[in-house]
Amino acid sequence: MQGPTFKEIGAFGYNRAEVDRGYTDQVLSVNLSNSEIVTKPVDERIRKVFVGGKGYDLWLLWNAVKPTTKWDDPENAVCIACGPMGGTTNYPGSGKSIVSTISPLTSAPIDSNVGGFFGPYLKFSGFDALEVTGKAEKEVVVVIDGVDEKVKIIECSGLPEDSYETSRILTEHFGDGKPREISVVSAGQGAKNTLIGCLNFTWFDSARKRVRYKQAGRGGIGTVFTNKNIKAIVARWDKVTLRSNRPADEKSLKEVGKAHSTEIVQLDPKQHEMAVLGTTHLVTIMDDYDLLPTNNFRYGRHPEAANLGQEVYRRLFDKGFDGCWVGCTVACAHGIKDFVPFTGPFKGQKVFVDGPEYETIAGCGSNLGIFDPFTVAEFNFYCDAYGIDTISFGTALAFVMECFEMGLINKEHTGGLDLSFGNRLSALEVLHQMGRGEGFGKIVGQGIRRMKKIFASEFGADAATMQDIGMEAKGLEFSEYITKESLAQQGGYGLALKGPQHDEAWLIFLDMVHGYMPTFEKKAEALHWFPMFRTWFSLCGLCKLPWNDIVPEDNKDTEEPAKVMQHVEWYAKYFSAVTGRETTPEGLITMSETVYNFQRIFNLKMGFGDRANDDIPYRAVGPVTEDEYESRRERYDKQLVEEHEVDIAGKSTAEKLAILRKHREKRYEILKDSVYARRGWTKDGIPTLKTVKRLGIDFPDVLELLESKGVRE
Amino acid sequence: MIKVKDRKIPWREGMTVADVLSEIGDPYPYAVVRVNEKSVSRPDFERTTVPDGAEVYPIPMVAGG
Ligand code: SF4
Repeated sequence: MQGPTFKEIGAFGYNRAEVDRGYTDQVLSVNLSNSEIVTKPVDERIRKVFVGGKGYDLWLLWNAVKPTTKWDDPENAVCIACGPMGGTTNYPGSGKSIVSTISPLTSAPIDSNVGGFFGPYLKFSGFDALEVTGKAEKEVVVVIDGVDEKVKIIECSGLPEDSYETSRILTEHFGDGKPREISVVSAGQGAKNTLIGCLNFTWFDSARKRVRYKQAGRGGIGTVFTNKNIKAIVARWDKVTLRSNRPADEKSLKEVGKAHSTEIVQLDPKQHEMAVLGTTHLVTIMDDYDLLPTNNFRYGRHPEAANLGQEVYRRLFDKGFDGCWVGCTVACAHGIKDFVPFTGPFKGQKVFVDGPEYETIAGCGSNLGIFDPFTVAEFNFYCDAYGIDTISFGTALAFVMECFEMGLINKEHTGGLDLSFGNRLSALEVLHQMGRGEGFGKIVGQGIRRMKKIFASEFGADAATMQDIGMEAKGLEFSEYITKESLAQQGGYGLALKGPQHDEAWLIFLDMVHGYMPTFEKKAEALHWFPMFRTWFSLCGLCKLPWNDIVPEDNKDTEEPAKVMQHVEWYAKYFSAVTGRETTPEGLITMSETVYNFQRIFNLKMGFGDRANDDIPYRAVGPVTEDEYESRRERYDKQLVEEHEVDIAGKSTAEKLAILRKHREKRYEILKDSVYARRGWTKDGIPTLKTVKRLGIDFPDVLELLESKGVRE
Repeated sequence: MIKVKDRKIPWREGMTVADVLSEIGDPYPYAVVRVNEKSVSRPDFERTTVPDGAEVYPIPMVAGG
């Protein structure tokens, strides 16, 4: 094969803004339609209101798009930002990039929080955020070279289609003997051929001497990226130290960073061993509590679940340090060395699989009825290489498999593939079809919302059944937890701004296992505090795992153990130490609340963001089929009798199913009311005028939008 | 002997995870207990035995995800 060729078509020299207290106060803006590259200053008010990271992304995106903008319009922007603490080297989990765009799946803003070195390198190169708009005529690589103070747009040809090899080649090419100085963002052919494309963010693992990557998975960001004809974005930076962010109070930063890092080093080996097992410990625990999605979220447990459990991955993961940014003592980004795929373009070749994490195991394993860890590794590898989100892939294919088993679709529709649960070869073939952009895989790659329409209009499948079993909300596929017995988590998914991803709220254990939230008010309180606090990590360039996956020994004896307040206090101290803006735990919540409400209003701007858009499919709420009811009959019968005071004597399963459904659907609506009230929103789920004024987001266009929706108080 | 956090308690034949928790007198409703390298969830506390010499670490697991 001929090697790649590169031709510079746009260049921009700049004087690098030095980072001060975590900020450069500069944004880099690249328009690919006319190769225009400019920098924009960030003013004081914007910094205060939006903080950084996801906040900056949303602000840039809000200004870039109109209410009519579609995901593939040139004005849609791909925004990447780091946040004031991003790039800190002594505090665990401080290297995240946050990516936002208008999603092809939801048609609204989506955000993804991802590891790798890109965000910090972007900032140290002089930019708090990057926005890319327009569309290039031919495939391009955008290079942000902080060392040489140059931004370049380079036309490229001859690079491989997949992200795995592309990242390696570009790291070698632009690293010029110093690969550690390079971080690459790229997608792959699957991102181009579907709407569920992800982005891979790299870092060079010096010990293993190879490029590693993490994914900005959700919402089809990779699809927007390839639609703009971007092959990759490369950042180059050299030295990183504790002083790179020029923190306001270095002494305080050292103290707080040391406290959290040391605690993790001491406690992780006793708790979930994330430095060895990543998040794989969750598989068997979820199975034990009937929460592991199995066969399209029908069931929560399976006798073979242990085949996908931590004991297996303990043996499969390559040993060594696996932090996705410098100084992360959780170091959970594990991988499998010398894996040999048995299908697809890499068949028979040794590759390194970055992962799997829990979500991939549940999504591409148990939820498809597949309990073979090697098949899961193969899904993981090819999803990443093709640039496909493992969660949307798994959940979408699980839906397809249930449709197939129910007879809603058949082999005529699937191009001859037997897509019953557990058929790993057919499932892998669907993934390869996405990579090749052909066959039934192209339809699956449209995501569940569009598949429901296609199956109904073209294959004659029953729309109501698909509405119940298609695990999507707002157009985004659910991540991998069973929520039937946790009303709070139903809200955690349904009321999440971008769609059903658990990064806003994960309340299942609190609610279901510990019973800490018996009332609607308590659930509403949790659905206020947790989404707000979790949002804060993405404003600052942080990973949430160090907050609550490893907890202090005495945490359980505190007033609100789920909040892990010791850590929240450390985070407030950390924020103050870097930015010099003194804050408290309450201050962190207000920062998030501001951006959170802005995002809700952004959804409204794009034609969503109200009550009807917070609906979830009934599979997330309760048993859809008689089979499901019967499988946990004792539980459901008991609830009907004790909680709902129903006389079930002589009632058929179908009758009981219908009564239970009525009760559960009603509870979900009451939950919406309680949460909206707690969040300062109208009954229709729109932030009130009072709320936006209190939070300082009463920009003229926001007020105009609220007025147009009849919100006047 | 088995080690529970930093304490040592005597081991006996057939001792379960539930027995260990009652022995240390900690009434907290732990969701998961680590026994050596294995995680045992609450529904299995009463039927999972603990081997002699084991290191046991109760985990509240209220957060995570
Ligand atoms: S906890 Fe894991 S995912 Fe988070 S920053 Fe550290 S290594 Fe990366």
